Amino acid sequence: MNLLSKIMKQREISIVVLIVVFIAIVGMVNSKFVTGKSLLLLVESAIILLILAVGQSFVLLTREIDVSVGATMGLSAAVCGLLLTSGVSGWVSALAVLAVGVLAGLFNGLGVAYLRIPAIIMTLGTLGILRGFMIILTGGKWIEDIPNYFKKLSGTDFIGLPLPVWIGLVILVAAYLVLRLTKFGRYFYAVGDNADGARLIGIPVSKVRVLAFVLSGLSASVAGLIFVINIGFVPNQTGSGMELQVIAAAVLGGVSLNGGLGTVLGAGLGAIFLTAINSSLIYLKIPAYWNNAISGFLLLVIVISDSRFQSFLANSQFKKKETAEAEGGGQGDEATL
Amino acid sequence: MKLLFRWEGALVIFLILELIFFGLMNPDFLNLTNLIFSMNDYVYIGLAAIPMTYVIITGGIDVSVGSTIGLTSIIIGVLWMNGLNVWLAVLIALLISACAGAVNGTVVATTNVQPLVVTLGTMFLFSGIALVISGGSSASGYEGISGFPDAFVQLANGETFGLPNPILFFFGIMIFFAVMLNLTRFGRQVFLVGINPKSARYSGIRVKSIIIWSYIIAGLGGGVSGLILTSYFSSARSDLGTEAVLPVITAVVLGGTSITGGKGTVVGTGIASIVIGMMQYGLQMMSMTSQETSVVIGFLLIIAVLLRLTNWGLLKKFHTKKAAVKEP
Repeated sequence: MNLLSKIMKQREISIVVLIVVFIAIVGMVNSKFVTGKSLLLLVESAIILLILAVGQSFVLLTREIDVSVGATMGLSAAVCGLLLTSGVSGWVSALAVLAVGVLAGLFNGLGVAYLRIPAIIMTLGTLGILRGFMIILTGGKWIEDIPNYFKKLSGTDFIGLPLPVWIGLVILVAAYLVLRLTKFGRYFYAVGDNADGARLIGIPVSKVRVLAFVLSGLSASVAGLIFVINIGFVPNQTGSGMELQVIAAAVLGGVSLNGGLGTVLGAGLGAIFLTAINSSLIYLKIPAYWNNAISGFLLLVIVISDSRFQSFLANSQFKKKETAEAEGGGQGDEATL
Repeated sequence: MKLLFRWEGALVIFLILELIFFGLMNPDFLNLTNLIFSMNDYVYIGLAAIPMTYVIITGGIDVSVGSTIGLTSIIIGVLWMNGLNVWLAVLIALLISACAGAVNGTVVATTNVQPLVVTLGTMFLFSGIALVISGGSSASGYEGISGFPDAFVQLANGETFGLPNPILFFFGIMIFFAVMLNLTRFGRQVFLVGINPKSARYSGIRVKSIIIWSYIIAGLGGGVSGLILTSYFSSARSDLGTEAVLPVITAVVLGGTSITGGKGTVVGTGIASIVIGMMQYGLQMMSMTSQETSVVIGFLLIIAVLLRLTNWGLLKKFHTKKAAVKEP
């Protein structure tokens, strides 16, 4: 019981256990799923969601929410495609795309932190604006003819892992280290846990919030770039519906919407778990249309049982404390006697 | 209360300005029959948004409503295809949409998981169930089930007293829910729960049951919206309503309901959904595609909230802050 509660408290460990158990079960049904090749494919297809989830975590940690990431990703992919097809070099296009993400995040952040617009409304508005911009830019057409050298980046291996996976890993590790080890990283937790308290001890709360949104926008534009590299063309609906999947991934990984709780590692693992559910269906010979029903059901079960367990834990700790105090009081009485 | 009425007044004035603007840009816009019939295209947003107002007033949110629309639609289709009377199919589908709402409400009320997360989960779950039903009955998601009897198709395509039926539905539902929110004990309790759930509980209100009923109402709203859409297109599809979530929430918020709960009106939501719909229709007449119009709607949402905040929210806060500084 003690070990179990320790595991449940460490959300990253419990999600890893969950992923391993899940993969083992699918592997028992169909051994093809546990080969190195298909597991690598799983990680590869999780990378976009993983990067978005890392960016979103910064926003969630400060107790805000960003539902515009799907649209930012779509716009970034469209800008990238348009620049590349008009002959701009890869590096310049990539920089321009990152600028798109930063600007989108800045817009959100300034609205939320300085104009005090509730984050869900602000980013809902941005979602509409950016999605519309994307359609206006592309004229509603798909962008094809992405230059080959850019598409080939997806196949570029480096110590056995393709480039997009490396980008994802570097972002994940960098974000984890910044949040974990630097003083500045802890600001995000402080703001989300208690904004007024954070302000009183001299943390620039508004600036931290703006930065969180900028990082989320930036991650969305990186996701857009990787989308272009991986897929090789940009459909109209690129990134639509992504925002809700990202939030689901982060929540699965233990990042709380109430702020101040969770790690990017958890969010990344949540993204991998969500993708694992989706890609396992083929190996289980379940038709693809079961996808949403299963992910939704699992999300609910995990979140509800986690909440039940946490409140059980809080209760039992409370009781323990109470009984300890009562016993302590009793002993004190004896001593005076 | 006065302030709220002023917001609705502002919305009406904005709607009139909008009509004048589009009328100047394109005189065809003001053709009354076209204008009324154009409402058919977006009335389903209002049908889902009006009951959603209740949930948002209690301080919650329901992003699963789009999935409920698709679920209702496909259930009507599949039941009817399997030989059930179409009206019986409608009744069962509406009951299931209410059950979907009850699932949301029960989980929100009995656990401390945030409403956004709960309904995010059920959004996947309900749309998944809808897909499974349509996939299992070999009606592919994109073709849908069509060929409904005429009486059912007339539900959303027919006219009564010279007005299209969906619009009558819309106003009927708006009046019903406005009366329920403002004139009944249940309505007052919904507000109290949104303002302060703890004090509501201590004053003897059954907070859990109020929350559950609000979500049931919102689920039923999604069901009615799905019913009208199915009849309007005379085709049942599991992916109807997937894009509806954001406009629905936009309509509620633009209508003056506070996303943090405790404040809001049904009439505001109703007017706001007309404002959004007219905006889309007008911009489309200026040869913008419906997706391009989302730029304008996004800005509209942000500016509307900004105006509300600067008018009373911030000023009031500023004053109270000043007062607080003076007091000690």
